[in-house]
Amino acid sequence: MSAMGESNHTTIQASEEVRAIHRQMLRRQRINRGFAYLVAFLIVLWILIPIWFISSMALTTQENVRAYPKGVLPFIEFSFDTMQFFLSSEGIVPGIINSITVAVIALVLSTLIAAPSGYAISRYLFRGRDTYRLAILMVRAFPIVVLAIPLVVVFINFKIFDSVLSLALMHTALTLPTTILIIGSVFASIPYELEEAAMVFGCTPLQAFRRVVFPLVLPGIAAAAIFTFVMSWNEVFAASVLTIQNRTLPAQVFNTLSQSSQAYQFAGAFFMLIPSMVFIFFIRRYLFNMWGQITK
Amino acid sequence: MSAVQQTKRRKKRNWAPYWLILPSLIYLALFFAWPMVRGLALAVWNDEALLSLREEASQESDVSGTLPQGTTVNVLDRQGNFIAADELDTGNILTEVWFQVQGTDPDGQTVTGWVSESRIRVREETEEGIPTGGTVRTKLGAGADPLTSIYAEENDNSEIVGKLEARSAVTIEDVIVLEVWYLINGSAADEEIVEGWARSRYVQVFEDENTGRIDRGDTGKLTTEYLQKMVNDRFFMPALGTTLLLMVIIIPIQFTLAIIMALVIQANLKWSGLFLYVFAIPLAASDLAVGIVWFSIFTTNGYLNTILQGLGIVDAPVTFLSVETRYWILIAITLAEVWRATSIVMVIVVSGLQAISTEILEAAELFGAGLWQRLRYVILPLLRPSLQVALILRTILALQVFAVVVALSGGDVVTVLANETYRQYYDFRNLNVAASYAGFILIISMVSALFYLRAIRTQEEARA
Repeated sequence: MSAMGESNHTTIQASEEVRAIHRQMLRRQRINRGFAYLVAFLIVLWILIPIWFISSMALTTQENVRAYPKGVLPFIEFSFDTMQFFLSSEGIVPGIINSITVAVIALVLSTLIAAPSGYAISRYLFRGRDTYRLAILMVRAFPIVVLAIPLVVVFINFKIFDSVLSLALMHTALTLPTTILIIGSVFASIPYELEEAAMVFGCTPLQAFRRVVFPLVLPGIAAAAIFTFVMSWNEVFAASVLTIQNRTLPAQVFNTLSQSSQAYQFAGAFFMLIPSMVFIFFIRRYLFNMWGQITK
Repeated sequence: MSAVQQTKRRKKRNWAPYWLILPSLIYLALFFAWPMVRGLALAVWNDEALLSLREEASQESDVSGTLPQGTTVNVLDRQGNFIAADELDTGNILTEVWFQVQGTDPDGQTVTGWVSESRIRVREETEEGIPTGGTVRTKLGAGADPLTSIYAEENDNSEIVGKLEARSAVTIEDVIVLEVWYLINGSAADEEIVEGWARSRYVQVFEDENTGRIDRGDTGKLTTEYLQKMVNDRFFMPALGTTLLLMVIIIPIQFTLAIIMALVIQANLKWSGLFLYVFAIPLAASDLAVGIVWFSIFTTNGYLNTILQGLGIVDAPVTFLSVETRYWILIAITLAEVWRATSIVMVIVVSGLQAISTEILEAAELFGAGLWQRLRYVILPLLRPSLQVALILRTILALQVFAVVVALSGGDVVTVLANETYRQYYDFRNLNVAASYAGFILIISMVSALFYLRAIRTQEEARA
């Protein structure tokens, strides 16, 4: 009886101890979570404050851009004056048109060439598959600088130097590996059984692909295409080296950097940042698709 | 029968992936591998290194010897020679024009033959500007033969068929453009003298008309000339130093920050989707734009000075980005690069973290491992493959920092290898030296990638 009472006593004691530990752990977890929120918030500030600054400079009057001390929106006048000044500067509108043309050609070429390859590496186990993937990765890691100078020589020989097409061909070579890997991972995420089921129900392989697989992979391929677009839109080095008359927007801004006013530079930077901010929003789900592939 | 069909089908299935990857292989071979090989050859191959001299003034004649580019030579003779029309716009080409003329000599005989354009003043032309008639020019200088020689062929080494008096009228029947050939001799460092004919496009003749130098050759040769030029360039060492310094500073900061960001994303916070979006924004930001963004902060009338003065830390705006304050430029570049390129490391690390099973992490937590212990003994070791990939990628990309540096330093005060490549190509028009720089960057990239792979493997071996 007494023994039982004693044991009962110890259980109560133990459970109290356990509860204390639990409480402690909960508190620690809560502190940890609070700490995580704090860190997250600080990093968000670190990333957003520079964007806030440049937006303030781009969306105000030119007097405010020249002013010191500098103000930020919404405490300074909001105006499209600076943007208008930038967009009406020489070479900017043609630059934007060139940039979009180059990026669209690169996007189309790159997607058309990459889609079958992506399908092949995700659906077939063939000899040389690993070598192929390694080669693709190596191309991805190659410095742009190293490729741009040689291509100048080739394009001069082909007499397509200083054209939008030559730059688009270069950007395609640059983005192709990434596109192949992304599209590969997108196909890999669609079970082959779906295709098989479609064939069981009487589809030909081509029909199975078109009716079942294609609609499922379309968003992923669109994400890859958007990524190609952004990479091409941002690229400065090759664009400056390969074009003289037909400059793209970054090349135009880059080459007039030393002679241009701050209003022009800031508005240019803001304008170039817009696509990245918008597009990342649409493809954020696929970011890990893109890079998860590489580590596997 | 069925077995045959099966092997047939298997064979068919085996070929499909190769057909599917073929376009990408062709494309990469065409626009990646081939230009790469050709371009890197530029760094070590001078395709104008040697000039072949001919025994006679003709491309078909035998080679009498070769002289290297830059040799000083004696010019012994010159002669015009036929040139194809499409070669007329070749650089540095020297041409002379000869007329086939008909005139009457002092004895009253009709003379037909060739004479250099310089001896005839053109008086009549067709509408298209083709000369049809003119007069013989007066010869200047004392003791010169007052008569002008007319030659059988279109060069003055050929037979003289007659002589015409000054100011006598001639009809021009044909016009021919010739490239000048020189008979030159000279010797490459301490070797025997070589003599032969060479085309004007290769030889630069000095004002005295008797000496000249070989401007460029027609035969290629392996050379270290461009590599030497690169290494001796006064911007080479600063560029290499800065590139490596930035790499050493930036990469550790980036990896620390990226791991923190990834842990935050993995902590399942309330707005983790939003956090992920914001953290990923710089991923797609243009490097030029980011350079300018940080320029707006660090420039003298920029935001940093506004904040510092607002807080009363400084009394007057400080000039951060100038020659005297190079370290501030380096700090600005570091911040800009950390801001821009940490996201990509974060994404790779998050993908790696997602592959680690939550049970392992929960188990570690249950056994009372603190955050630091979990990180040190569980997470980081499991993340090694991802970190390795990220490290290789970041190092290679760090060797290419370009627009950020130019935006913040003007490209002069602080320079990096990629910027020197650009300048050699764009400002100095020196394709070969630019190719040397490109090759150099490639070699460092490859060596560092191999180094990481090796270092991590030996670590694993030591552990096993």
